[in-house]
Amino acid sequence: MATQTNDGAAHAAPAWDPIVRLTHWCVALAVILNGLIVEDESLIHIWIGYVALGFLVLRLIWGVIGTEEARFTSFPPSIAAAKVHLGDMLLGERRPHKSHNPLGALMVYAIWGTLAVVVATGVMMESDPFPPTQGVSGFTAIFSEYERPYGDSEVLEEIHETAANVLLFLALIHVGGVLLESRLTGVNLVRAMVRGRRRTQGDEH
Amino acid sequence: MTEHQADPAIKARGHGSKTTLLAILLAVQVLCAVFFVGDVAEDFRRDGILPHTLFEGAVALALFIGVVLGGLEMRRTLERNRRAEAAASAASGAFAQLIDERFSGWALTAAEAEVALLALKGFDVAEIAGLRGTAEGTVRAQLARVYAKARVASRSQFVCLFIDDLLAAPITPEEAA
Repeated sequence: MATQTNDGAAHAAPAWDPIVRLTHWCVALAVILNGLIVEDESLIHIWIGYVALGFLVLRLIWGVIGTEEARFTSFPPSIAAAKVHLGDMLLGERRPHKSHNPLGALMVYAIWGTLAVVVATGVMMESDPFPPTQGVSGFTAIFSEYERPYGDSEVLEEIHETAANVLLFLALIHVGGVLLESRLTGVNLVRAMVRGRRRTQGDEH
Repeated sequence: MTEHQADPAIKARGHGSKTTLLAILLAVQVLCAVFFVGDVAEDFRRDGILPHTLFEGAVALALFIGVVLGGLEMRRTLERNRRAEAAASAASGAFAQLIDERFSGWALTAAEAEVALLALKGFDVAEIAGLRGTAEGTVRAQLARVYAKARVASRSQFVCLFIDDLLAAPITPEEAA
């Protein structure tokens, strides 16, 4: 159980630590909220963006100093490994992965990269979360569109929107990939990301 | 029996909620740090290097160092929990092995070994009979044979044999391996 070596642990999902789980679900929530739900040019959109940036930064720091399965060295981006994994999936082979599987790892880096572009352009466009012209008249102002004090660069806005759409698309593929992998291997990956380590009685025997 | 096995799981969940709280605190700290660094960068851009902006920069830096140190501490806690769980599991495995060796040393039959194990786990005669679907008289007879083979007079002496082993030879993961 402590170290996932061979057959016995092969069917177990990775033991995600609290930081990985927290950052994962908060970023997911932020992407859904900002990408699909809240008004694009509202204050709350900016605030959610900052929160997403915070969680991204935390996850990246954790990728260097975190637990073994959370560190970048546990899931290096490798096209070759991803191809092997794809072959395994097609042949119905199962291999234990201590961290993200190689295909998942590529997706992780793609999502982080895209998210970084989205938040960077977002911050560059309108970085003041408490704009002076906004006033503090009421909380309704937070959710509605407002006139931004400085003009925006069209280019930045284009990049921001395109990257955001790419991000939503990647998220969709990511969900599909997780469901497919869970189905093929019989390991509930979603539960692993919600509850962390699976400590069932069967693990101890 | 089920209660005995549920224990480690409950403990693991206890660890889990504590580390989750730590994770949330760390996240809040990072959010503050990100916002503060942005704020400081903006101040630097607008005002240049002044005592005030320098001080703010130092505070922002301290915040980030705090985050990194908090993260390192968090990792140590998580790894310590994992090692403790692994050790507990190895120890319980080693103890089970020791019981097995004792039982085969006394040449217990399969049925006697089962009854003896249930007795060790604290079930009384009626419960063992219920679990095994046999008469209480049968269980009593089996226990009597077990005690005779182990050369003890009662259940408490029987249990003490194993307690003795535990105290004499501390069970560590190294020994189990």
